[in-house]
Order: sequence, then structure tokens, then C-alpha cells
Amino acid sequence: MESILSFCFAVLIAPLLPAVIQKTKAYFAGKQGPPLLINYYTMIKLFKKGSVYSTSTSFVFKQGPVVGFCTSLMMLAYFPMAEIAPLFSFHGDVLILFYLMGLGRFFTILAALDTASPFEGMGAAREAFFSTLAEMTIFGILILFFKLTGSLSFNEFFSGEHVISLMGEYGALLILVVAGLYIVMLTENSRVPVDDPATHLELTMIHEVMILDHSGPDLALIELGAYFKLLFYSGFLARLIDPFHSDNTFVNGMLFYAVVLFIYISIGVVESITARYKMNVVPKFILTPFILVFFVTILTMGVLQ
Amino acid sequence: MDTLFVSITVILAGGIAGLLLYRQFTLMKVVAIATTSAGCGIGLYYTLPKLLQGTAATASYNWLHTFTLAFSLDSVSLFFLVPIFLIPPLTLIYSFHYLENKQKRLRAGVNYLFFSILIASMALVVMSANMITFLLAWELMSLSSFFLVMYDYESYGNRKAGYLYFLFAQGGAMFLFAAFALIHSHSGSFDFNSFSSVPEQAKLFIFILAFLGFGSKAGIFPIHIWLPKAHPAAPSHVSAIMSGVMIKMGIYGIFRIYLLLEPTTALIGQIVLITGMVTGILGVVYALAKQDIKQLLAYSSVENIGIILIGMGIGMVGVSEQNQAMAFFGFAGSFMHIFNHSIFKSLLFMGAGSVLHKAKTKNIEELGGLMKRMPVTGRTFLAGSVAISGLPPFSGFIGEFLIYYGAFQGLTCNKFPYILTILAIISLAVIGGMATACFTKVVGLAFLGEPRTEKAAAASESGFTMGAVMGIMAVSCLVIGVFPEPFIRLAFSGIKDVSMVSSFDTGAFLTIIRQLSKTAAIFIGLFFIVSIFRKMLYAKKEIGSGGTWGCGFTQPTVRMQYTGTSYAYEMVEFFNPFVPIKNVYTGIKKIFPGTTTWESTVDDIAETSYQRYLTTPLLNLVNKLKWIQHGHIQLYIGYIIVAIIVLLLFL
Repeated sequence: MESILSFCFAVLIAPLLPAVIQKTKAYFAGKQGPPLLINYYTMIKLFKKGSVYSTSTSFVFKQGPVVGFCTSLMMLAYFPMAEIAPLFSFHGDVLILFYLMGLGRFFTILAALDTASPFEGMGAAREAFFSTLAEMTIFGILILFFKLTGSLSFNEFFSGEHVISLMGEYGALLILVVAGLYIVMLTENSRVPVDDPATHLELTMIHEVMILDHSGPDLALIELGAYFKLLFYSGFLARLIDPFHSDNTFVNGMLFYAVVLFIYISIGVVESITARYKMNVVPKFILTPFILVFFVTILTMGVLQ
Repeated sequence: MDTLFVSITVILAGGIAGLLLYRQFTLMKVVAIATTSAGCGIGLYYTLPKLLQGTAATASYNWLHTFTLAFSLDSVSLFFLVPIFLIPPLTLIYSFHYLENKQKRLRAGVNYLFFSILIASMALVVMSANMITFLLAWELMSLSSFFLVMYDYESYGNRKAGYLYFLFAQGGAMFLFAAFALIHSHSGSFDFNSFSSVPEQAKLFIFILAFLGFGSKAGIFPIHIWLPKAHPAAPSHVSAIMSGVMIKMGIYGIFRIYLLLEPTTALIGQIVLITGMVTGILGVVYALAKQDIKQLLAYSSVENIGIILIGMGIGMVGVSEQNQAMAFFGFAGSFMHIFNHSIFKSLLFMGAGSVLHKAKTKNIEELGGLMKRMPVTGRTFLAGSVAISGLPPFSGFIGEFLIYYGAFQGLTCNKFPYILTILAIISLAVIGGMATACFTKVVGLAFLGEPRTEKAAAASESGFTMGAVMGIMAVSCLVIGVFPEPFIRLAFSGIKDVSMVSSFDTGAFLTIIRQLSKTAAIFIGLFFIVSIFRKMLYAKKEIGSGGTWGCGFTQPTVRMQYTGTSYAYEMVEFFNPFVPIKNVYTGIKKIFPGTTTWESTVDDIAETSYQRYLTTPLLNLVNKLKWIQHGHIQLYIGYIIVAIIVLLLFL
């Protein structure tokens, strides 16, 4: 029961949180910014609309948003938000889930290429490249977590004897992992400094240019998927750094989401004070966390034996 | 055992009957395909129950009163027999509509004959129990596949590709002869069972020789260069079987020699693992860099051989580290991947053949928009692409999951094996990501978007049998991905007779597999729910259609679509200098710019290195020795006399 409630809460709150990023950026720019519920309004608006499809596209174009949405939703179903057991969990679920994300990406890329557009392929190529590099870091992190907990499941990472937490046993090692995961989160969710969702030029976009031709409910599904994905990554990060623990599930949940909120604000801050990197610098930026995580993994060889 | 010989006889009879009936084109095809498939069916009927029960068998025959032809079956051989008997009937049925040029009916008959010889010889390779039998079958396999590759021998490029394949097949066989000769010099016996009596110091050397020999067949980097030449040259049903099944015989050889030698040195596992990683990563990057679909698929086979070797290497390292779980899942993962790869790679090659057949080109830059024109080929190719990228809920993921699982069990190792295991996991992740990029490129550019040339625009769907076979294979990719348990059991029974891991208990793991299956099912369920939800949202709404939005321009020209070269450029450039990109740009020189050209090619570094460091110096040397061959008969006779005298005096 708790799991279902937690899942539903995560799904419902996911569109709210990105508005916090917008608010933060507006604050830095000295503007008032959109209302906090802006994303819900947008979703309702999009769901009400119809769509215009390009004559170049085939059925793949329509499947892209659905697959992307489903894979992101799967992540939330398997991830233990706020110390509450997820809907499903088993030993080995991290592997299939990160590969499911790959499936989502596969279809998003195909949908982009289906439009026969001169621009969308560009974004698709970058998405394929950068996420491969980010995947290296993710698997580095999985190796480390397996080493620490002997488990391959999100739920078991954060429950049981060896809980992975910055405050826990090997907290010192995890500082580098947190930094690495933060960069991966920025990469995978197309945030500054890897990608700028608010830029005006299609040639410099990654994710936004891939979905140029989607409209109406399709676009809504894509946006929702993006919200879920961002919530998953920040939830993952929050589980690592969350210093609070309370025996009351409700209080615990509130504290957890406070940490999540903090992460969203920090994304807003990062976006306000940094500019997007030049495209040829981005791979180096994405490889940095891999080096950090790899270093930590090597360290564990000495620490854990 | 006898049933298998019956099956092989029927298979060969099918091929011979095909050749004899070549004047009646359709009848020939029907008879050859039906008989050969029936033979394969008999083989499968014998193999599958035996594999699941795990019974071994042996048989031996005296041949020409000089050699003993010995055969034996253990779980490993039985496992490899499954794809050997399963894939060829499908590719043969596909060939019914693929070979439809009546003018070439004799050639088609010859093709069916060699096809059946290839199947029979592959079955004999995995059944052999001594060196003589093995090498006989091995050579038969190499030769029959050589003739299959040479189907379109009129073209100079195809002949060249065929000779290159021949060179590598025979060069590889020479390494095998060397390895077997070494063993024989130590043990004095031809029997496979004598291999373990070889002294420990020699084993490493023997293994490396055999690894090179088998590796040239399997396509490990850098002795893979025949694959990207021979596959585009061969007809598609032949490339399907060669890539799907025959190159796995190289893997079988490597595994068999490892089992027979029972080596204790840890170095062997490490060599295999490192080779696997290099092969996998470079294979997929080259695949990404190529624009010819069949060449791309050939490099992707190299990549998958890499994945299989990573699994096998994990298993071998697990054995030397005495980590049962690691060893078991490594071997099981590579077996699972062998099985899966044989299905989806054949499917993809047949899809490429279908495209080549109808669009008359296999260059991605000239294709596009085929999904609408060839719906069956397009959809099945899409399924195969998802599977080969290792993405759930399709079959490719299952093998990779097992290998990952084995590798993660290996993280308890220390020092060098630990680093190797980490690198193996990271390389698998990189290979997975790059494979996604590679196959989104093929599907996205060849099948989606707008046709780039008139040839592509004029394409239509291929014949019924081709579509039906591809459909069956695409569905089985999905079925294996969603209900992997029976297939994983098959892989598990395959390694039952591997003594190092035979005592491992798999009970706990099967629950994980059930969970995996459940996750795939949940995902598919969710997909359908969301699809219905989406349908409801669109109900009674206005659906418009128009050109793709191109920032103010709407569909200016199809040539403005993103190309395969530019799609891959950044990723391939990242792997420079291992994958060098060569750009030729003529530049703009006058005030009023005239025509200018830009060309970007990626040459295989292995091939260019062979050219630079091996063939060119060799040719130079041989050129200098040309004076020996001058055409004077009397002097040639003099050579012979000198040679005989030298032999008589000194030997």
C-alpha cells in the first residue's frame, strides 16, 4: 500500500518540480517566472490538442513518445523513493532498467530520424554519443555499489546491512560518486552545461531538437517522460546524500522530497550561473565523472579487503 | 548417434538432388529446400531431447584402413548442433524467393549443394572426437563456404573477397595444424582425450596457436578482415548462415580446445577476455563507420563475437579464480548469446538481402523511407535491431544480462582479474551504447525518413517466403526476450558437461530470470495501456499532416536529410587513432566557386597495417627474387636436380 502511494505521489509531483528550476532561474534573472503549476497547465493544454504529423513519418514516429514514456515510468516503479519499498524489485533490476532507458532512447532517436529533417539527426547523433559516455559512469557506479552491498537492485542498495549513504560506512568514497552522478543527471536530462533546453538555435540543441516535430498528446508524453526521468535521477542522488532519517514514514518522505527539492534548486542555480559548453568540450565533461568513479572503484580494492 | 548420421545423409541428399534437378528451376528449389530442411528437422529432433537429458554418445569408424574417424557428443557439441540445425532451414526457405533468376539455375543448384555440404560439415565439426575427423570436417566447411561466397563470381570485387576469405580460412587452418601437430608430438595420439596429457608449459603456446586459427574463422580483431569483404559479396542467405552459425564454429573450437587442454594458467582466460573487449569495441565502432548495410552487419558480427568472447573470458577467469558463479554465468552467457545471435544476425542479414533485392543498393546513403515501402522487412529489421542492441524486452538482452551477472560475481576477485572484470563490464556498457547508435543509424536512415534516391523510392515488398521467415525470426527474438527461461535452461544444459562448473546450483538464479520475464511483461503491458490511452486522447480530434518543419523551410530537398556519415562522425572520431577517418576535400579555389567534392572514408586499421607492414614488404622481397623464374626449362631441370641432391645428401 505504501509502495503504491509513494509511486503515485512521485508520478503526480514529477511535473511540479521542474517548475522550481524555472523559478530559480527566474529569480537569478530578476524576473517573476511562471507559476509553480505551469507544467500541469501545459500538460492539460497539450492533452486537449490534436496533432500534425509530417508526411515523411511512419508508425515509428508515433511509437517513440509511448516507449519513452513507459521506460521512464518503469524507472519510478522500481526505484525506492523516500525509503519506501518500490512497487517491484529484484536482484538484477538495475541492469534491465538502465537497458530499458536505452530502449526509450533507441525509439526517441528513431522518431527523430523518421522526420527526414536536416536538424533532428544532429540531435539524435549527439544523444546517442553522449548517453553512451554517460552509461560508462552509470555502470562504474553500479560496480562500486555492488562492491559495497553485494547487490544489483535499487531497493537493496538502500536497505539491508550496508546502506549506501554519504553518512554511512564508506561516505568518503561516495563524495566523488555524488559528484559523478550529478554530472550524469545533467547529461541524461539534457540540462546546462551539456544541453540548453532554452536555447534559440536548433543546431546547438540535443534533446529539444529531436522532438521538434512532435505535437499535442505525443509531446505531452515526451515531456512527462522527461519529468519522470529527472525525478528518478534526483531521487537516486537524494538517497545518497539524504542525511535525515525518521521512523515516521510520512516525516521521512517529507524530508526526502525536501532533499529532492534542494537538488532541483541546485540545477536551477547551475543553469543560471554557467553557460552551455561548446559541443566538442562536452564529451570531456561527461567523461570526467567516469574517471572519478573508476578511481573510487580502484580505491575500494584496498579499502574493502 | 546414428540418427544424426541419417540426418546428415538426408541433408546431403537434398543438396545433390537439387543439383541434379537444376533444369526444373522451381522443382529444384522445392526439393532441395524440403529435403535439406527435413534432414535438419531430424537432427533437431535428436539433438534437443538429448541436450535436455544430458546424455553423451560416442562412435568411431575406420576410414581407408589408415585413420579412425571418431565422433562423440557431449552437452557442448549438442548445444552447438541446435543453431546448426535450426537456422539453415529458415535461410533456405528464405532463398526460395531470393534466388529467382532462372538464368542462373545451374548456379542455384550448385549453391544448394554447397549449402548442404556446409550444414553437414558444421555438424561434423562439432561431433568430431579426434584431430583427423575434426580437420577433415573443418576444411570441408571452409571450402564449401568459399564456394558459397563466390556465387557472383563475375564481379572482380566478389572474386577478390572470396580469395581473401580463402586465404584467411587456410591460414587459420595452418595454425590449427601447427597446434595439433604440437599436441601430437607430445602425446603421440590423434585422440582429443589425449590433449590434457600435454605438459603444462606447452599448453599456453598450443592454445595461442589454436586461438589464432579459430579466431580467424570467428573474426576476432585484428584477423577479422575477411568478414567485411566476404559478407557483402555472398548472397544474403549465405551471409546469414555464415555470420549466424559458421563463425560460431570458431568459438566452438576455442571453447573445445580450452576444455580439452584443461589449462591451469590464468593467462589464457585473460587473453580471451582482453581480445573479447578489443574485438567488441572496435567491431562496433567500425560498424558505425560503415555505410554499406552488409558490411556494417559484418562488423557487427565481429562485435558480437567480442561479446561472446567477453562472456567466455569471464568464465575462464572465473575458473582460474575458482569463482564458480562467475565461471558458470560467464559460460552460460556466452552460450546464450551464441544462440540469440544466430537468430537475430540471420534475420538482419536476410533483411539486408531483401533491401538489396528490391532497392538494388545496400548503401545507406542511397536508401531511406523503406518502412512504408517494405513494411514486413522494415518491421522485422526493426525487431532484429532492438534485439542486437541488447535492449529488453528482446532476446539480445538475455545473453548480455547473464554475462553482466557473471562479471558482477567476479568483482570479489583481486588485483588483475578485478581490474579486468571492471573493464569487461564497462566495455559491455560501451558496446551496448554504440550498438544502439549503430542500429538506430541503419533503421533510422535506411528505413525511415524520405528515400534518398529513385531506386529506394521504387522499392516494394519482397516475396512471401522471405517475409514469412523474417517474421518468424522477429517473433522468436521477442519471445526469447519475454520468456527466456526455457532458452536459458538450454544454455545451462549446454554447459552441463563442462567439468569446472558442473556442480553449480542454478536454482536461485532461475527466480531472477522469472523476475526478468515479469519485468519485460510489465513493460509490454504498460506499453499497451499507454498506447490505448494515447488512442483515446486522439479520438475525435483533428489530425493534420504536412511537411517536416525545417526551421522556416519545409522539405526543401531529400538530400538535406541527415546522412549516415555525419550521424556517425563524432562517435567514430572519438576512437581516433584506432579508427582513422580520412577526409578528402578538393576545396574552393576560384573566386566563383566551381564544383567541389568532399569524401570521407574509414579504412580498417588492421587492413591498412597488413598492407603496410606485411604484404607490401613481402611483395617487394618477392619482386627482387623474380630472376629465379626466367622461363628457361633447362635451368628449371637444373633446379630440380640440385634440390634432389641436396635432399639426398643432407636429409
